[in-house]
Order: sequence, then structure tokens, then C-alpha cells
Amino acid sequence: MNTRRTFLKSAAAASIAFHTLPIIGAEVTKKYRTALIGSGWWGMNILREAAASGRIKTVALCDVHEEKLIHGFEDVKGDSGDEPKKYKDYRELLEKEKPEIVIIATPDHWHALQAIAACKAGSHVYLEKPTGHTVNESRAIVKAAKDAGVIVQVGLHRRIGPHHVEAMNFLKSGAVGKVGMVRCFAHSKGGPELPKPNSAPPEGLDWDMYCGPAPLRPFNSKIHPGGFRNFLDFANGTMGDWGVHWLDQVIWWSGEKGPKRIFCTGGRDIAGPAISNATEQTTDSPDHQLATFEFEQFTATWEHRKFADNNAEKHKIGAYFYGEKGTLHIGWKDGWTFYPVNEKTKIEHGNSQLQEPDGHNIALLWEDFIEAIDKKRKPIADIESAHRSSCLPMLGMLSWKAGRSIQWDAEKEQIIGDEAANAMLSRAYRGPWEYPKV
Amino acid sequence: MKLFTLLLLLTTTALAHDWPQWRGPQRNGISDEKGWSAKWPATGPKVAWKASVGIGFSSFSVADGRVFTTGNADNTDTVYCFDAASGKELWKHAYPADLGDKYFEGGTSGTPTVSGDQVFQLSRWGDLFCLNAVTGKVVWTKNVQKETSARIPDWGYAGSVLVQENLLILNIGGAGLAVDKTNGNIVWKSDDKDAGYSTPLPFKHGEDSLVLVSSGKGYNAVKTKTGEPVWSFEWGTRYGVNAADPVVSGDQIFISSGYNKGCALVKFGETTPVWQSKELKNQMALSVLLEGHLYGFDGDNGSSRSPLKCVDFATGTLKWDDKTIGPGALTMADGKLIILTGKGELIVAKATPEKFDVISRAPVLTGKCWTVPVLANGHIFCRNAIGDVVCLDVRAK
Repeated sequence: MNTRRTFLKSAAAASIAFHTLPIIGAEVTKKYRTALIGSGWWGMNILREAAASGRIKTVALCDVHEEKLIHGFEDVKGDSGDEPKKYKDYRELLEKEKPEIVIIATPDHWHALQAIAACKAGSHVYLEKPTGHTVNESRAIVKAAKDAGVIVQVGLHRRIGPHHVEAMNFLKSGAVGKVGMVRCFAHSKGGPELPKPNSAPPEGLDWDMYCGPAPLRPFNSKIHPGGFRNFLDFANGTMGDWGVHWLDQVIWWSGEKGPKRIFCTGGRDIAGPAISNATEQTTDSPDHQLATFEFEQFTATWEHRKFADNNAEKHKIGAYFYGEKGTLHIGWKDGWTFYPVNEKTKIEHGNSQLQEPDGHNIALLWEDFIEAIDKKRKPIADIESAHRSSCLPMLGMLSWKAGRSIQWDAEKEQIIGDEAANAMLSRAYRGPWEYPKV
Repeated sequence: MKLFTLLLLLTTTALAHDWPQWRGPQRNGISDEKGWSAKWPATGPKVAWKASVGIGFSSFSVADGRVFTTGNADNTDTVYCFDAASGKELWKHAYPADLGDKYFEGGTSGTPTVSGDQVFQLSRWGDLFCLNAVTGKVVWTKNVQKETSARIPDWGYAGSVLVQENLLILNIGGAGLAVDKTNGNIVWKSDDKDAGYSTPLPFKHGEDSLVLVSSGKGYNAVKTKTGEPVWSFEWGTRYGVNAADPVVSGDQIFISSGYNKGCALVKFGETTPVWQSKELKNQMALSVLLEGHLYGFDGDNGSSRSPLKCVDFATGTLKWDDKTIGPGALTMADGKLIILTGKGELIVAKATPEKFDVISRAPVLTGKCWTVPVLANGHIFCRNAIGDVVCLDVRAK
């Protein structure tokens, strides 16, 4: 057992070493003119990792909140000496700067319009996950990338994180046996939520543009900065955030296009009813959700709970792959662990290998992106497969909103025999924004 | 003169080294207490008592044998009053308050302020209390946010209450808010802008009594009595987090923020700094100034890479740094640093620009510790984020 583990580890190490080798040739000095749309915390984190690769020149930043632009500019200038131009409107940025690479790190509801515009402008795109807010937005990005012939890498860094690669090699080696069920989850503690008063948007924030194609609602600091994920106008809650990472491991492992049937239940039984009125708001995403994805050969589930924590089990986040020979857990900081059925077989474990300061593996994903552009190859989290992974939480949320199970045709990307549910693959945009065409 | 001294002795039972408010009697983070024991066995100082107060980052105030702190459980804030020596709970006062756990554990931020026989507490959401320090009975209460419709900054109001004669000065609005100490009536308020997270700091400029208040965009000086703006220094920070109180020496003001912003020494009234650098970025745990040197943690509380540094106040030059213990928070007494690290180790070290010179160290808490420890009357009070409180006996043997 130890021998195999050592082998797997060195195999993973070798594949990482390959990624970090400098690329020999003239291209190595090429610095891509890069723009960032959404220069908040996470966008700046991606940009920092991107700049550390030595392969970009930051030419522009875009944010609807002036403060994010000013501090983003200061950070870029301090770190690299680049002096990016500042934009409040991504359309103006694309037109004036014609960047070779665009990083998109805005809330989900903006992903499609911005990614499609960037593709049309001929830019390669690093798009933060999930790909879209509704399924047809995500499909439209796939089409736009294909039409433009550009590379779109999605921020699903768990496809390249060393301990994920190790665990996936272990899984594919047959050590877990045939897998019949996968359980993906993220649990934390929490309790009832109280509303917070609405207020005027902070100075320098274009709140109308922040809401963009989503409904305009009163400003509340629970939403911005950084709270959008728990407001369903802008994102899909914990399932759209953490869920997409772990459900992506299922797609990555199985190579499946999608599930056949989806059913999702959940609610805000602990957080309490969502409040949104002229004077105050709470978040409105479910405090717990259980989604079942029935595939041809196996069943996958997503569950999250923002109360009770998860001290009854060993792990609080990740995916359990249940096979004939045991349970493989792939986690975050706790690495991966295999719990064999046979008690005489040794438990196997691989530590996480994360990069600071964010505790993920963005640098590796960025290197892969640059190499894909250099060599004109498909990146590891290319838009088409990332779209398929992103569909899982979006379909889960659709089922939860519809209150019924749905049958999914993954080839045609349509819900079978349920026109009302099919209509929910898109949503109405607030004018003048137009829902992208597939 | 003798009569005056006698009267003082009769009218107050205050112990020699009380710590009645955030950052202590002088608001500089330094206690004038001497003779406490800085040498302990490897197991640490003797534990006098322990308590559990709920989630939060509120520090301690100590006066007249009572210690006050706060925490949150079940969306309820509680102000606790313990007997400082025995840890016996003397009273508590609870009120509804959202945990507010965006990006962190949430819970209470401000530290109760003791003034005479009253204690004042401001919640993150604007609930203001005047409590009787002996009984815990509510003298008056109101929600100043609701009354003024002031904006709540992203993480709520974090500054503690500053008492100035008959006024309570609060960090609410773009440059503070003042209410009457006796009834909570609004006396003056500032523009409807995002407040910062520091505690208003009294500042004398010539004959003028001023307060320094941080906003989301900088640091402002206003007249204590009227709130009239006198000076402002633009200091924008990512997320509008200006949380550290200024550190003042004469008319020179040290300003520092985290999120990779940096620090600056500013002369009062000027708009360009004397010096500015990224050497000592205080996010929440602020620096202490002793004999021309700043001691503090450089970097965010949540970062594993926030070294302890000693920096020359006048020039911003680094004297030494220690990368092994940060992040953490510190106070000072008798020329020594009293440090609680982010992981709950209590360290006493000499406060000297020569080197980081540890005298004693011992683990006293587990879990995340962002709250500055307090020394008062031979006891050190420490807490962690989930609200475990430990009182350590460091009285001279």
C-alpha cells in the first residue's frame, strides 16, 4: 500500500513539476496585456498570482466601486510597477484597451455578459466560477468562446491542486473499487439571522451598475462588499459557491456530461424567513440544501448546512466517493484520505498542498492557462467542461425554486417534459441589458 | 492640600492600576503598573479564574475591583461584570444583537467604558447603554443608529465609547457622534458617511480639545464640544477599514491600516505625511509607543505572516522584527510587552529597540485570539474569539 502511495505522490509531483518548468523558446518573454474586471478581494488575489507568473502586464482594472479601483491600482503599482488604467464600465475597457487576457471576478449575475463581451473582443478569459447564474447564460459563454476561438479557463482550481490530482489518481487506479455514490458537502455553524438596515450606497459605488441585469434593490452592506453569494438575485448561495467545486470533482472524475434527474430540497429553517423591504434586508439563500443528481452509473448528492457544524463526522467539507473497497474523502486543508472497507487494510492519506495567502492553488491554474494560450491547447478547466460542472448547482437551485424534480437531457441541455421549468433555464434581465442568446 | 488628598481617598475606592477603558487610562495601551511578576513557570502564571462570555473580540475594562467584557450567543449580546479577583459573576446585561459573522466569527467588538459608577457600551448595530456599574441596572438606553439613520459600516460599529466630561463620543458617521452622558440626547453629529472602526481619541491642540475619529476614508479631528471639523487626513483603505486608533506624540500622529495599506506619520494640520511606508500595517491590533519606538504587529490579524516589529517613530525605520509569533495583540507595562498571540500564547518581552527579548511565555488559551490582553492590579485578562476568558494571577510573590 505504501509503495502505491509513494508512486502516486511522485506521479503527482512530476505532473506539478512539469507545470512549473519554464517554457523554452521565444514565447517565454511574451507578456500578455491583461485586464481585470472586478478588482475586489478575490479578483485582486487572482491578479496577484497572475502577475507573479511574470507573464502578464496589467493594463486595466474595472470596478463599479471606485474604492476598489483606487486600492487595486495602488497594489498593482506597488507590486509590479504597472500602472493600469481605471474603468468603471467593462465595455469601455474592452473597446479602448483591447486586452489579450481578461480576468473576470465579478458576482455571478455579471459573468455571462462580461465573458461574452470579452470573447467577442478577442480576449482570452480567466472566468471565476461558477460560469453563470442561469444555465442558458453559461451555454452562451461556451458558444461565444467557440465562435471567437479564444481560450476560457474557469477558476476551478481543484482540478490542478496537487492533493486533488493525487486523490484522483488514487481513485482512477481502482483502489476504491467501483464507485456507486458520491456525497459532496460543506457544513459550518450558524444560527438565526437578523435583518440589517438598508443605507445609501457607499460613495463612489455605482449601485445601478452593480445590480446590472439583476433587479435593482435597495443597497445593503450585507450584499456588498463580498456578500452577494447569499442573495439569489446575484448568485446561487453555498451550492453555487462551494458546491460547484466539489460537484466538479464528480464531473472531472466521471467524464459524464450531466445527470438524468435532479431533485433539491432545503430552506431557511434556522436562518429564518428572508426579509427584503424598503428599510432592511436579510440574505435570502437557503441555510441548508440537499440536492440529488442521478447519473447513469451512480448517484451524486450535494448537501450544505449553515448550522450545527459537523462534529459528528470527521470532515466538514469535500466529497466522499463511496466504492466497493471503501470511502475516499477529498477535502480542502485536510487533504485526501481513503477509509478502506477491510479493517486490515491501512488508511491512506495525502496532505493538502495549498498556496498562501489564499489557501488554494490559483498559481497552478494560472500557469496552465498561460501554457494553454502559448501552445494553443485546451486548458485544464476549459469553459465547456466547466460549464457542465456549473450546470449542476444551477439545476439544483432550479429544482429547489420550482419545488419539484426535473429530468435533464444533458445532450440537448433541456429539461424534459416541463416547459415551466425549462423557462427557468433563463431569466428576465433588467433593461437595457439583454439576456445572451445561445 | 492634605484635606484634598484625604477627600480623594474617601470618595473613591479606585485601585491604583485600574484600566477603565479601551487602551487604558491614558488611551495609549500602556499601564503604569510596576512590580507584577513577569517570570512564570513553563506552565504559565497561576490561573485565578476562567469564564465563558460568548463570541466576540471585545477587550476588558477594569475598575473598582470589577472587570467588564462582552460577547454574543444566540443573537444576544451580553455585557458581563465579574469580580476581578475571584471571577464571580456580579451581574450581566443582555440585549438582542445579530451575530454578524460576515467573514469572521462575529460577535461583539467594542469594549465597555467605565466612568465613575457608570459603564457605557455601544453595540455593533448602534444600541447604546448606560448601565450602573455596581448593579448592572439600565440607567438609560437607545439605539443611536436608528435615531440618526446613520450608515452602519460593513462590520458594524467597532469603536468603544469615549467619555469627555458630559459627552459620550462615538465613532458613528463620517466624523463621530456625541450624546449627552446623562440622557443620551444627541448633542452633535457628523456627515452621513461610513464610520471607521477606531475608538475616538482625545487630542489636545493648543487650547483646543479635539477628538480624532477614523472614517472609511481617513482620519478626522473635530472639536469635542461641537463636532466642528478642524482637520482631516485622507487615508483610504480597502474595504474602508481604518480600525487602529492613531498613536499620538505631541502634534505627531501615527496612522496605520491593514490590507497591505501601510502606515504614515502625520503632523497635525498637514495633508502630506512626514513619512509613509508599508513597514507597520496595523489592521486591528494597534501599536504601542514607548520612548520613540513603536511596537506592533505588521499585517492582518487573519494572516499567518504578521511579524512583530519595532519601528522608529520619527523615521519609520525598522529596528527589529520577529516572524515566529505573529499575528497577535499587545499592551505594555513597566517597559515590557505583554503579548497574546493569535493562537493563545501569552508572552512577556522587554520593550527595547535592541532586540526581541522574551522573558516568559506560556500557552493560556486555544483557538483564535485577536483581542488585546489587559493588565490591571496584578492580573492579566485574556480571551479568545469564542469567548473563553482566563484571568491570570501575576501579583508579585
